[in-house]
Amino acid sequence: MATAIYIPRVNNNDDEVKVLAFDVATGDKVEGGQIVGQVETDKAVLDVTASDAGFVLGFIAKPDEVVKVGSIMLWLGESADEAIPELQESTLPRSTGEISQITAKARLLLAQSGLQADAVPPIDGRITVEAVERFLAAQGGIKMAGAAVDRSPAVDVQPDVDGTLVNLTREEKGMAATVTWHRDFAVPGYIEIEYELAPWAEYAANFQQEKGLLMPPLLPLMAWRLIGIAQEKPVLNGTFIDNKRFEYNLVNLGFTIQAGESLYLAVVRNAQSKDEQGFVNALGDVLRRAAGHNLKESEASGATIGFSSMERWKVTRHIPILPPHTALMVAHAAGRDGKGVLGASYDHRVLNGGQVVGVLKKLSTPNKN
Amino acid sequence: MSLSKESIVVAIKARIVEIAAETGDDASELGVDEIIPATGLIDSTGLLELIAWYEKTYQIPLTQEEINIDNLGTLARMAEFVLRKKGLL
Repeated sequence: MATAIYIPRVNNNDDEVKVLAFDVATGDKVEGGQIVGQVETDKAVLDVTASDAGFVLGFIAKPDEVVKVGSIMLWLGESADEAIPELQESTLPRSTGEISQITAKARLLLAQSGLQADAVPPIDGRITVEAVERFLAAQGGIKMAGAAVDRSPAVDVQPDVDGTLVNLTREEKGMAATVTWHRDFAVPGYIEIEYELAPWAEYAANFQQEKGLLMPPLLPLMAWRLIGIAQEKPVLNGTFIDNKRFEYNLVNLGFTIQAGESLYLAVVRNAQSKDEQGFVNALGDVLRRAAGHNLKESEASGATIGFSSMERWKVTRHIPILPPHTALMVAHAAGRDGKGVLGASYDHRVLNGGQVVGVLKKLSTPNKN
Repeated sequence: MSLSKESIVVAIKARIVEIAAETGDDASELGVDEIIPATGLIDSTGLLELIAWYEKTYQIPLTQEEINIDNLGTLARMAEFVLRKKGLL
């Protein structure tokens, strides 16, 4: 029996993805778990894997084609000469412009079947148990190869209270993508320590005076210290991919900045290649562009490690969300009575608590060498 | 836009008062020769907002090296820097 591999959802904000390439050809034998191709959005590239072994019967999607999430990518068969099933209406890519309501029982059945709501044609605008069962019957009980990518429902149920759906801005979509990655992939932990404010305050004041800086350099200097620590311990500057730790070769420091209503993660790429003042200047540049809402795309993505402060709001504790594909985000907060708090969110798949405490202890004093 | 030193000082001060208000501070008494960061009226994020606004309003793209106390440390220096960059001083 032929089995379809579907276009997976990469994140909740994108109902369409671009097919990048196929790693298999018609007639190839593939194993369960083997990568068969890649899809991408403007935020991420994702491998698509076969859930079961089989022979590639043919491709429905084409490289460089932008396709709907939930549409068929390719067909696998039990033998290489098996015919591709005739496309039925329910297997064709459909517009996702209309948001369907999903009943609670249907949602449960979708989850049990490993299905995305996008793939199921609604009945009278609603995805019900009947709609899901009808879809499953039409597909002969197929498995959705891409379903494991996103554990969340593709479309949430609209509340039973009058209201208006408001489109998100680019920045809001970025924030939603970040928190969704954190929820769906990271295993987050949070640790904080108390530290003496005076050594850092003195170091930053001297640096500012010596360089004649307008901007207080405390936070950029702390971020620079973090970069140095990450260079000493590469595990900090990594992420978790396919049951392996991925350690980045470069340090791209992401630094949060609230500009008006927008929250940005401004990124200094290749930060380890700069000296202390060079980094302070580079961070000042990207933060200034963020404050003016003029960040370049490359300055708003690609962070490998993060630094966040809510001192401005006199917040004494905050637990940051991890940016996609990072394992550590330091949280700087307001001090009190000569003491400050340094915290960090971390991905427990990559780091353990002891490692994070070690980072925070080092970060609590300037490196005067 | 009038580009006298006085008018620039007034406009910059008004922006600083707005930014300071975001964090609950009152910058209405800020003097023209006070070192702005030293007053504590606006923090580093507020200063970034101020500089981004300053560049845009007066159409003077700045290099990071130009953003220092000597050029932009007080209301008077900020106003004079605009005039210098425009060749008006």
